[in-house]
Amino acid sequence: MLEIKDVVGGYGSVQVLNGASLKVARGQIVALLGGNGTGKSTLLKAVSGLIKPWSGSITFDGERIDGLRPDLIVRRGLVQVTQGKEVFPGMTVEENLKLGAFVVRDRAKASRALDRVYTYFPILKERRQQLSGTLSGGQLQMVCIGRGLMSSPKMIMLDEPSSALAPQVVLDIFRTIHRITQDGMTVLMVEQNVRMALLLAEYGYVIMDGVIHIEGPADQLIHDDNVRLSYLGGTVANREASLGTGA
Amino acid sequence: MGYFIDLVIIGLSIGMVYALVALGLSLIYSGLDIVHFAHGEIYMIGAFIGLMLFRHLGIGYVPTLLLAVVLTGIVGVLIERVFYRRLTSTGGGYTVAGMGMIIAGFGMSIVLQNVAYLIWGPKALPFPVPYGRPVEIGNLALPMSYVWIVATALILMFVLNLLLKKTMIGLAIRAVAHNKDIAYLSGVNVPLMISLIFGIGCALGAAAGVLIGPINYVQVLMGLSVLIKAFAAAVVGGFGSLPGAVLGGVLVGVIESLGAGYVSGTYKDTYAFVLLIFVLMVKPSGILGVEAKVKA
Repeated sequence: MLEIKDVVGGYGSVQVLNGASLKVARGQIVALLGGNGTGKSTLLKAVSGLIKPWSGSITFDGERIDGLRPDLIVRRGLVQVTQGKEVFPGMTVEENLKLGAFVVRDRAKASRALDRVYTYFPILKERRQQLSGTLSGGQLQMVCIGRGLMSSPKMIMLDEPSSALAPQVVLDIFRTIHRITQDGMTVLMVEQNVRMALLLAEYGYVIMDGVIHIEGPADQLIHDDNVRLSYLGGTVANREASLGTGA
Repeated sequence: MGYFIDLVIIGLSIGMVYALVALGLSLIYSGLDIVHFAHGEIYMIGAFIGLMLFRHLGIGYVPTLLLAVVLTGIVGVLIERVFYRRLTSTGGGYTVAGMGMIIAGFGMSIVLQNVAYLIWGPKALPFPVPYGRPVEIGNLALPMSYVWIVATALILMFVLNLLLKKTMIGLAIRAVAHNKDIAYLSGVNVPLMISLIFGIGCALGAAAGVLIGPINYVQVLMGLSVLIKAFAAAVVGGFGSLPGAVLGGVLVGVIESLGAGYVSGTYKDTYAFVLLIFVLMVKPSGILGVEAKVKA
């Protein structure tokens, strides 16, 4: 469904991506892993159109999308949920969600999408008239994911859905992501919480210095010595810590 | 007492004119992150367009106002698309403001003044609108022109509020004003919204120009003093805040009018700035201003 091929790009004159390639099949859930500053978020931004790749190609659903404006990529059914739980704090929860359906002209379809988001995140329905600036971290993340689902996309890209959240909330979010994928959504997920991501994903890529370093089925990666050493921590204690804090 | 009420009414209506210009400034600032220094000239162009429509088409004042507002809005969109966009898109983004944009604004102001000069000449032109008899309330005779200004400005503000709060377009405009990346990722055509924001800002400026025309004359240099007053109004109310722009405009207008009536008309233009300095000392973010918002 999504094919990224030899993408080179960055910000201004700083090159971050040095020829990254990856594939996501329809209905698949894929994890993109890597430490800080390895190019994970930059790659997602290149796919969603926030930055234009300098070279390489990005194909979604059989069409080239590299260099397209972000809203046109949303129209084609590919949505990115950014890191940092960014909402519009002056808008209510429902207004935030409705904005996600901006490309949907069919009102009935938008309101069905809203109902579906409320079944994934019932707390948002309770809080729908509340200003989103007053929500907790977990609820903000729910608004962000919910907003991404509002245009009924074919595929969603999540940038660190677990970052800066309490462990229990992380579990909740991951459970809901799991539910969303079971309903047929294709997901590309960037995570620093490697263990959780690999438990959820079917396939994983590890990015390093802007290129894909290691790839493989998730159950193999989780036992891969390189991945284990670099990202899961060498000792049992560290592993437990990484599972607990989401670091 | 009658004198005081007269002054307040005059100040209120002039204040509404400032408020409309300040609303445009604030809207453009919140949407494009630029302070538009050519906005006084947009107001002047709007007034001239209104005057020409009124004189040559023989249509009434209300159609004149609406048509001038729409036409000036289109002029604004063209200016943004053709000139400003080149500057804001240089960094690959859409909000690279900085010095370049400020100088471009001043440049645009000079260009528009000269274009207006070439078309309409240096003379102050009358904008004769047959308003009819003043409205009498008790022993007060309220000139219709003032009633018109206040009523029209209130209607425009009401419509703007409705647009921003109740429509999808308004939701998108507010999103673009807060965070352009997230607006983009929500599927909003950000460049189009930016043009729209700029157009609406210019349309509000034009409305102010057409409203003031019948009271003052219409002339090429009418923009500067209004820009400065509107700027003061926007800062007093809290730059970027739309209710603040209205409040600031009204305050500036009323204080100016009272100062001119009770202290001295010679220093009419200074009262706005005394108010500005006072507000900046007490609450630097403006009366309704919030702490500097996080920009995308």
